[in-house]
Amino acid sequence: MVVSPVILMLAGAAIGAAVVAYIFKRAGGLWLLGLGLGAIAGAFGSALFLAPLDYCTFEAGRESLDRAFGLILAAAGTAIVVAPLGWLSGKLLRHESLIEGQQSQGAFRHWWIAIPLLAPTLTILLLFLYYPSLETLRLSTMLSRLGARREVFVCVDNFTRLVEDKTYFETVVRTMYMSFFIVVLSMGLSLLVATMAYLPIRGASIYRILLVWPYAMSPAVAGIIFLLMFNPSGGLINYLLGKWLGIKLGWLNDPKVAPWTIIMASVWKSMGFNILFYIAGLQNVPKDLIEAGAIDGAGVLRRFWHIVWPMLSPITFFLLVTNLTYAFFETYATIDYLTPGGGPLRSTTTMMYRVIQLGVQNNDMGKAAAESIVLFLTVIGITVVLFRTGGRQVTYGV
Amino acid sequence: MKKLVFLSVVLVMMLALVAPGATAVAQEKIKVDVWIAFQDYRWDWTKEVAARFNEMFPQYEVVVTGGYSYETVFAQVAVAAEQGQLPAVVQFFEAGTQDARDSGLFKPIADALGDRTEILGLPVDFDDFVEPVRAYYTLDGKWTSMPWNTSSAIMFSNMNYLRAAGWEKPPATWNEVEQACEAIMALENAPEYCFTWPNHGWFFEQWLAQQDALYVNNGNGREARATEAVFNSEAGVAILQWLDDLYNKGYLYYSGAQGGDSWSTVDQAYSTQQVAMAAYSSSDTTLYTQMGIEGGFETVASFLPYNDDTGWTGNLIGGATLWLADGLDPAVEEGALAFLVYLTNTENAADWHKITGYIPIRYSAYDLLESEGWFEQWPNQTVAVQQLAQSKVTPATSGALVGGFPAIRNVVTAAIDRVLLSDDDPKAVLDEAVAEANRIIEEYNLLNAP
Repeated sequence: MVVSPVILMLAGAAIGAAVVAYIFKRAGGLWLLGLGLGAIAGAFGSALFLAPLDYCTFEAGRESLDRAFGLILAAAGTAIVVAPLGWLSGKLLRHESLIEGQQSQGAFRHWWIAIPLLAPTLTILLLFLYYPSLETLRLSTMLSRLGARREVFVCVDNFTRLVEDKTYFETVVRTMYMSFFIVVLSMGLSLLVATMAYLPIRGASIYRILLVWPYAMSPAVAGIIFLLMFNPSGGLINYLLGKWLGIKLGWLNDPKVAPWTIIMASVWKSMGFNILFYIAGLQNVPKDLIEAGAIDGAGVLRRFWHIVWPMLSPITFFLLVTNLTYAFFETYATIDYLTPGGGPLRSTTTMMYRVIQLGVQNNDMGKAAAESIVLFLTVIGITVVLFRTGGRQVTYGV
Repeated sequence: MKKLVFLSVVLVMMLALVAPGATAVAQEKIKVDVWIAFQDYRWDWTKEVAARFNEMFPQYEVVVTGGYSYETVFAQVAVAAEQGQLPAVVQFFEAGTQDARDSGLFKPIADALGDRTEILGLPVDFDDFVEPVRAYYTLDGKWTSMPWNTSSAIMFSNMNYLRAAGWEKPPATWNEVEQACEAIMALENAPEYCFTWPNHGWFFEQWLAQQDALYVNNGNGREARATEAVFNSEAGVAILQWLDDLYNKGYLYYSGAQGGDSWSTVDQAYSTQQVAMAAYSSSDTTLYTQMGIEGGFETVASFLPYNDDTGWTGNLIGGATLWLADGLDPAVEEGALAFLVYLTNTENAADWHKITGYIPIRYSAYDLLESEGWFEQWPNQTVAVQQLAQSKVTPATSGALVGGFPAIRNVVTAAIDRVLLSDDDPKAVLDEAVAEANRIIEEYNLLNAP
């Protein structure tokens, strides 16, 4: 199969033209204009990723995996350019507002006033977020080391090798299930503890401070404490378990147990943050609603399920997103202290741990950049799914 | 009134900005930046030495900056070099030697010194440095970086257990370790495990060197640039086989931790007397001897046990050296060189040994310590020195020079982890590890070879 830039551009143009022309026609615009605009956008989109790569995936001597990857890049580029164009033109042609929801009364008189007001934030974002992101994209196509004489362009090898590496697939699956349990356990336990800490008891504020404390502890200190507690030989936990129950567990050196040690430590570390937010959320649940429920004869569990839980849903959703980020990105330090190396038998190697091991320890920047892009896309994907499903069930206000 | 307060605040802030600049011009000290990879008591010690140096040579101001680990300091140096902010002296660990050499950022000490025998009045005598250290850091026939913290792998034994099992001195070979373990584990109050070690790539290298086997080709990378890993030899497989045997018999304790953070799990297992013997770095001889005194048992240090079938050729060194930046202002280079010489003079080398347990890197420092009766008081402290002194210098015991060494170490520790915890064949696992190491070396050379 011969794939040339021209064919890809024509294909992109055709798709773009069809989509945008259709939208123009539905919205009552000039469909020929839509056809032209769509064709240009589609052609440009197909080249968005591949032109900087110089269409290297289709060079002679490349494998079918590379070519498939090239086609995916062309399709993704086309979608990234055509979809917003279609959405925007549809809205404009129908004279709809670009911002969803009701317009507030206090709008600015001139639209351009927003620009200087946003400028400081945008400057910082550009410098410290968008530019490094672009640099990551560039690095991901390179063989690169800090302090080396040169960089070598390797096309998409850093990505395609992940498809062939069976340990990577295992790592992705492991990251998913560890993150799932960290998020669910941490949030579930936090809600339970927050509900109890919210009860009107003597010295409640002291309890609350103590509960939030673990969150304020540096990951390094927490890591050392956990390591010396969970060390299978000589550690406190196994000493006590052995003394009282006569059993000992391979907390750090049994591949079946070690991931759970990491999950426990991560849950413990993140609970403070969740409890803080849940206590704040509980304080915002109107007392009269609960009283009304009580008068109507609803029991504690019923009141919780029908009044408190829905009122907490914005907080729960916010925590779900932040906890997910924590589970995917910030458990690195915990793993590095408890099971440095990501063992035993790779059982605690997560996607983020691999990125840091490759980038910082091995100084293999290109592969680390490629894996961090995959990780980024995974988390974006999960977050989008969350917003599409869970986000709809959130009730804001009464 | 408010305006007045505001104006005076602004004035004070402006003065604060101007003032340091003004005083700096007045003093005109030559600043020598030194970056090391320690943040603990070793950093404090180095800062004290720098303070004494600054007093002796008031024209200089040596500033010692501590770093988190060898790897992070290496990354920081690479970034600093890109921005033209390279410090005058940087500490690299032995595994970073090839990277440092290829970076082109550093100047061999021998080149900076020329044929001078003293610098700023401080005498220079490279012949006074112990032989294995000289062998490791003499590259292309040139004294390249300044040895500073040097150690070797040795073994610490809890003599309470060994004596109870009928061993008056620690076992010397792999088979003896196994025999001693059999006796110890049969004791009535046996420890939980018999033997342990930190799963750090360095120990595999030590056991390989003892058998006079190479880690990488081209004479361990010393005759020419290493292009292939060769540690899947019989000697390499024997190491994994031995560890696996000990593990399967329930003698060996493996904490699950790999690499630089694995040390503390061994410290804990040994100090709580859950194990009888631990292979470890001589750098913590002081600490391990103390553990015994505090825990009510005697710690005896001995040579690292070796393979009976191949005999003992020697052990290699570990630790780090100090590298001199290239392209420094001549006055700064002079100050940096003088500081390196001062830091490693006889008195400081002896003091450094006492504080840490790193070996005295100079013969004169050893003599000084001996005349003070130090070794009589602390016989454990001579073990690493003796082990290195008796080592035959061969390409194997000189240590490997190879690019991407830290990454290869991760591959080796993962292979050991796999052999211990799974039923996979040591030879097959090691072959896979070598293939992975070869890819690392190939990519490294592609980017770094001139």
